[in-house]
Amino acid sequence: MEGRITTEMSAEDILGMLQDADGYYLCNNERDVSQSDFKNRLMPMTTVKVAPHREATGFFSVEVSGGASVHVDLMRKQVNPFERLRISRKAMPNTLLQAVCRGASLFGYRHYPENVIRFAVREFAKYVDVWRVYDFLNHVPNMIPVFEEVQRAGRILMPSICFSTGKEHTDDYYVEKVKEILEVTGSDVIMSIKNHSGLGTPRRIGHLVEAIRKSCPDVILHYHGCNTDGNDIGRMITAVLAGVKICDVADHGLGAVYGQAPALTLIQTLRDYGKEAIGVDVQPLVRASDVLRRERRIYEPFENLFRGHDPTVASYKLTGGAAGSTFEQAEKGGFLDRMPEILEEMGRVQIELGNWWSVTPGSQILWTTAVNNVLYGRYERPSLDLKNLIMGRYGPLPFYDPQEWICQKVLEYQRSDGKKWHQIIAEEGGVVRPRDADLEKERENLENEVGRPVTNEDLALYLLYSFDTVSFLKFEARYGKTWLLPPEVWFRQGGFKLGERITFEDENGKPHYIEIISTRREGSTVITSLLVDHTFHTQSVTLEGADACPPPT
Amino acid sequence: MEQRLMFEKILVANRGEIAVRIMRSARELDIKTVAIYEETDKDSYHITQGDEAICVGPGPRKDYLNIDGIIEAAKKAGAEAIHPGYGFLAENPDFSKACTDAGLAFIGPPHDVIRNLGSKVIARRIAKESDIPVIPATETLSQGAKGEDEALGFAAEYGYPTMIKAVAGGGGRGIRQVDDEKALLAGIKQSRSEALMSFGNDEVYLEKCVQRPQHVEVQILADKYGNVVHLGTRNCSIQRRHQKLIEMAPAVLKKPLTEEICGAAVRVAKAADYLSAGTVEFLVEPDGSFYFLEVNTRIQVEHTVTEMVTGIDLVREQLLIALGEPVGFSQDQVVERGYAIELRINAEDPKNDFFASPGVVQVYQAPGGHGVRLDGAIYQGYEIPRYYDSMLVKLTVYGFTWQEAVDRLARALDGFVIIGVKTTIPYFKQILQEPDFIQMKFDTSYIDTHPHLLDYLEEEGEMEKIARLIAEINAYGYNPHAQ
Repeated sequence: MEGRITTEMSAEDILGMLQDADGYYLCNNERDVSQSDFKNRLMPMTTVKVAPHREATGFFSVEVSGGASVHVDLMRKQVNPFERLRISRKAMPNTLLQAVCRGASLFGYRHYPENVIRFAVREFAKYVDVWRVYDFLNHVPNMIPVFEEVQRAGRILMPSICFSTGKEHTDDYYVEKVKEILEVTGSDVIMSIKNHSGLGTPRRIGHLVEAIRKSCPDVILHYHGCNTDGNDIGRMITAVLAGVKICDVADHGLGAVYGQAPALTLIQTLRDYGKEAIGVDVQPLVRASDVLRRERRIYEPFENLFRGHDPTVASYKLTGGAAGSTFEQAEKGGFLDRMPEILEEMGRVQIELGNWWSVTPGSQILWTTAVNNVLYGRYERPSLDLKNLIMGRYGPLPFYDPQEWICQKVLEYQRSDGKKWHQIIAEEGGVVRPRDADLEKERENLENEVGRPVTNEDLALYLLYSFDTVSFLKFEARYGKTWLLPPEVWFRQGGFKLGERITFEDENGKPHYIEIISTRREGSTVITSLLVDHTFHTQSVTLEGADACPPPT
Repeated sequence: MEQRLMFEKILVANRGEIAVRIMRSARELDIKTVAIYEETDKDSYHITQGDEAICVGPGPRKDYLNIDGIIEAAKKAGAEAIHPGYGFLAENPDFSKACTDAGLAFIGPPHDVIRNLGSKVIARRIAKESDIPVIPATETLSQGAKGEDEALGFAAEYGYPTMIKAVAGGGGRGIRQVDDEKALLAGIKQSRSEALMSFGNDEVYLEKCVQRPQHVEVQILADKYGNVVHLGTRNCSIQRRHQKLIEMAPAVLKKPLTEEICGAAVRVAKAADYLSAGTVEFLVEPDGSFYFLEVNTRIQVEHTVTEMVTGIDLVREQLLIALGEPVGFSQDQVVERGYAIELRINAEDPKNDFFASPGVVQVYQAPGGHGVRLDGAIYQGYEIPRYYDSMLVKLTVYGFTWQEAVDRLARALDGFVIIGVKTTIPYFKQILQEPDFIQMKFDTSYIDTHPHLLDYLEEEGEMEKIARLIAEINAYGYNPHAQ
């Protein structure tokens, strides 16, 4: 398709094409859809299944990594996040791969040492073409190490301004923030408006884009929004009409509520305004959704408990990416019935704590604070992260500080030295950058844990999530590349039927099968006989925990 | 066509792969075979390959060593001859004599030949009388303090290190290298003890230590008419604690040296009035000088490499010679072509000092294709008994060039799927990638000087790993790793 952007082009050429584009480009944000609407459970083989259609569609990029997905890959899907990138690259060789990055928190929840950030970004930048980088306080210094490493790797940098609503969130504020970022990055970037909670009216977004364009006419703008209130199509329309060049969208067969709005709806609407999606072929876009509609049934157990659009998000401002995990926590914690109160409290603490942006890790702080306030009394059980926030550990709050009574309750909570809150801030407050890690020592530790030499990729994961990386590497050594299995097998409930045949291909396209021949239980041991590629296997599994009890007779 | 006199039935007094190997040649000659087994070995594959099978006792091991019991079994089955294979009673002169006394043909040398060549001292004397260099050594050491004095005197003359060897030794047992006087005196005691346990004879002697030699051996065949032919050389230098790990044919020595060594082997055989198949072993120093080591009066594990390069079936020849036929070809007709390499795939854990790894062979898939020969006695579901040796299968490959043989060996090893027990396969894979091996730069110190070969990761097959997860999902009713 004419105007299509591909991996064969240089970053410079790509930025030039975006600059000159009359229409707009689309980024398929599979990562955010998976995180927001399916608790990050989309398996690599689903990506592989739909990849030929996405590749043929002609997206500017497909966001496949970053955010919470990296951690969930290790914890719940037992997939190496680097391997997932390699799988995506192989399946979509011409399409740019994109990742979202939480500044100094990278793909985690707390600030990492600077040498860890640089090391990890260098490893991920071998695969990730486009880096969408943000900080939940819009504190630019928190993003600088990532900016520098991405640009050093020759990848496309997409610094973000987090967007929210309220009297402090003026066009002037955001325009100044854009200028502040551009001073650091230079102009060869794509500036992203990160509307993670799907806030503001279409008119508000249109004005914001106009204001930025007016002040910085050459800046290339990208819009990322969630569709929680059902109105992100409207926001994207005004954004594109005002000059945004790339929008984050979803497949209509997969996008639901808390993730992105459907690509096809946007295309059809903007066509009426005389704006075309550049490089996009609609037929494969439709086919992709045909595939995903069928695939989606596998992920039904992970869909959000609160289904349907929620326009009240305008007050509680929960980021789409945190929707699944918060509701899941509420269910597991037994307070799902108190969600209306908690969401109302979220809106309240949002204002009380400074009306900054409810996105990771800030969204977790707001959520935890709201839950604790509802369950235990207002600010009676402040979290350590809330303390760190008020102490300025993450950076200065952008607009105003919390009221004194909140600072007092939070900072003096369980304080044994009797220090008062203002003294604590004076003596201990401010950003404290974590000390650089001893990378070779960490490598040695990991090698001792897994009993083999490790790669830089292994080490990068270990530096980010030490415990879960060790668990994953041990899992992989024992069980292999289980992501090759059909996702419905990975998420199977109720075991297998006798005679059931599981078929799949390996990485080289060779077909394999495993057939269940027999199952018998002896005490807490289950013996399964299998036919594996024409060869008979017997596997004994000793059940643990509650499963070890014999089934009722 | 002249009607050949033939055995109707023979008893194979062995187990495992060599029993199967013998039965195959016997079948080709239309000879019926009787397998024997101990109760503790009742699942052994060789039992299924014989035409008949007789349980010789409860075992383990002792009934495979019971001469009277085996003779009785042969008589009962109506066998006319006994093939001893290797190990067990193969080099026991009493067994050969008992067979003869019972009117059964012993498919191997007569008892006096076995006895003479089995005694390292007599064997050395025979070699010396045939003008073959032998390694300087003592006579059998006297018992007690006198023997220690003899040993110290020898060490003073030839220096350390020196070797202590069992007079009745073989298979690496009872052999030890010592580096000083203290170790010498302690080693004599240990070797006597080992020799007594292994061979029922605690006599030992000392031998000059030939450092970093190549272990070269010559396959011979001799008939009762005095014909002795050699079938070329084998190189068995790659050994671990004097146990051969990898064997190949030919030994790849310079032609004059090869001819000299093969000629020496034939002279020894003739001087010993040898009969049947045998192996004359030598140590060859880097400068080309060589020493007679010993004669193995039996078919050897590694005979397959010779068969691959010469095309001659050694067991068939043994059977025919035992029938009184002359060797079926002249020396001129023996032609070695290409290279053959044999590996012993054992149920052992190389990382755990090659300790035996008994267990059930859950999955067994074997390679095949051009130039690949397997001599094995395992099958899927076979529980490897802990009482016997740990060899699962011998892999022998042929290549027109050395490199082709190495490449084929690597390919064949990749084709094995053996699940359930640890094997020597990953260790061999390491060796096949090692530059010194590829360039044929090895001697008997190879394993000791390449300790890094043990630095490998044990990789299971991907499908086996995934099958493990499927079994877990099936057992739990959900995926415990996706929670």
